[in-house]
Amino acid sequence: MSSRSLRCALPRNLVAPAVSGTRIARSSAVLLLPSSAPAPSTTATPTRHYATAAPAAPGARLSLPPDYIPPTTPPTARPADTRKSQLLRSYTSLLRSTPLILIFQHNNLTAVEWAAVRRELRLALAAAAPQGSEAAEVASRAQLQVVRTRIFDVALKIVEFYDPSKVQPSEATTITGKRVKVVYNHDLSKAAYKAVKAVSSSDQPLPESSTYAQISPLMVGPLAIFTLPVVSPAHLAAALSVLAPNPPAFPAPSKKKSPGYYDPIAQSGLQKLLLVGGRIEDKVFDQQGIEWVGKIEGGVDALRAQLVYLLQSAGLGLTSTLEGAGKSLWLTLESRRSVLEEEQKGPQEGGDKESS
Amino acid sequence: MITRFITDVTTRFNPFSPQARSARLFLSFLPPNARLSGVNITTQLLPRHSADPPTLYVKFKDGKEMNIDCTKTNIKSIVEEVDRHSRMLQKNADLADG
Repeated sequence: MSSRSLRCALPRNLVAPAVSGTRIARSSAVLLLPSSAPAPSTTATPTRHYATAAPAAPGARLSLPPDYIPPTTPPTARPADTRKSQLLRSYTSLLRSTPLILIFQHNNLTAVEWAAVRRELRLALAAAAPQGSEAAEVASRAQLQVVRTRIFDVALKIVEFYDPSKVQPSEATTITGKRVKVVYNHDLSKAAYKAVKAVSSSDQPLPESSTYAQISPLMVGPLAIFTLPVVSPAHLAAALSVLAPNPPAFPAPSKKKSPGYYDPIAQSGLQKLLLVGGRIEDKVFDQQGIEWVGKIEGGVDALRAQLVYLLQSAGLGLTSTLEGAGKSLWLTLESRRSVLEEEQKGPQEGGDKESS
Repeated sequence: MITRFITDVTTRFNPFSPQARSARLFLSFLPPNARLSGVNITTQLLPRHSADPPTLYVKFKDGKEMNIDCTKTNIKSIVEEVDRHSRMLQKNADLADG
């Protein structure tokens, strides 16, 4: 019997994307796969048959171990096939991968208003980045999305308080009945659930230094997030000038350049968006903090150049100082030597004169 | 929430304070066309470390003004309080129409 017909026996509770994201230790996941299983008892019939349907011969019945857990459906604390669970997983992966998140409160925007706001945002970001450059790639991956507040809140907790690398492996049965160690440390796992529960149910308040303690007051009401794949002040400034203009530093686009921005639909949409805060590289900022990041000219590269210049100039000063001490010592000694030499020379010369 | 008779909503809060909750939720209760139907909505966000209490000021068509203390009242009681006056105005409007 080939492994292909065995695979049909696997229950297909989970959809494919849910499987790819789970972080079962790779080696143990391979152990659980049916390909490692030796073919069970020989079948009398060479015809193709499926384990899920009624088997052809009673002797050829494929029986899985009673406590067999298919590698594609690891045990979860939350029901894995619900929209909410999958949203939670998408939020955790978003939070882990996105360094810059702006949090907005949206007060009953209609669909056309959202479309107008996103259109203006896209135009502004495209204007900030020249075509075909890396910046254009960043601009194309920026997005403004509505999030489910409570689920996003749980995702924030999982990202901060749950460390998947510290989960102890548990035992699982392979298709052949062998016991192997498997790590179930995905975001819907019991370990993640317990870690979050322990934090939220403990009596003592969260430490002030934790990101979640700072950001959790923002998790109220309808929220939308603007995400950028990298911390790019240029893009951030462009987005701010559209979504939360603040005239001196972040003026709204001019009427001539982007007439669509002054479209009544876009304007009424933008009026209902409220920038409440943001998370930039695991630090929480309010509006002023975000604007401060947006004001960094030239981005991270410019900051790096500044640092290099600072270090270089410090180094120059240091070398000249150190050199100065050595130089003066050398000068002193050199002058002393010349004096001594002259002193030595003096009597000798006199002696020579006497002897001659 | 009855918003037909509201003409002005002014809020001022620090989003990082847990007390701002009811003020923020009140804003989210206003209908999508609130601004078009003549409600002036002004929101001022305070900086993160400001300790000023959140304020919510509501003005009605008959000139009645409400300054709601958001630190103690939750959103349910705010809506109740606003609706109490709105219902009275609604009643008067219905009588005038009929």
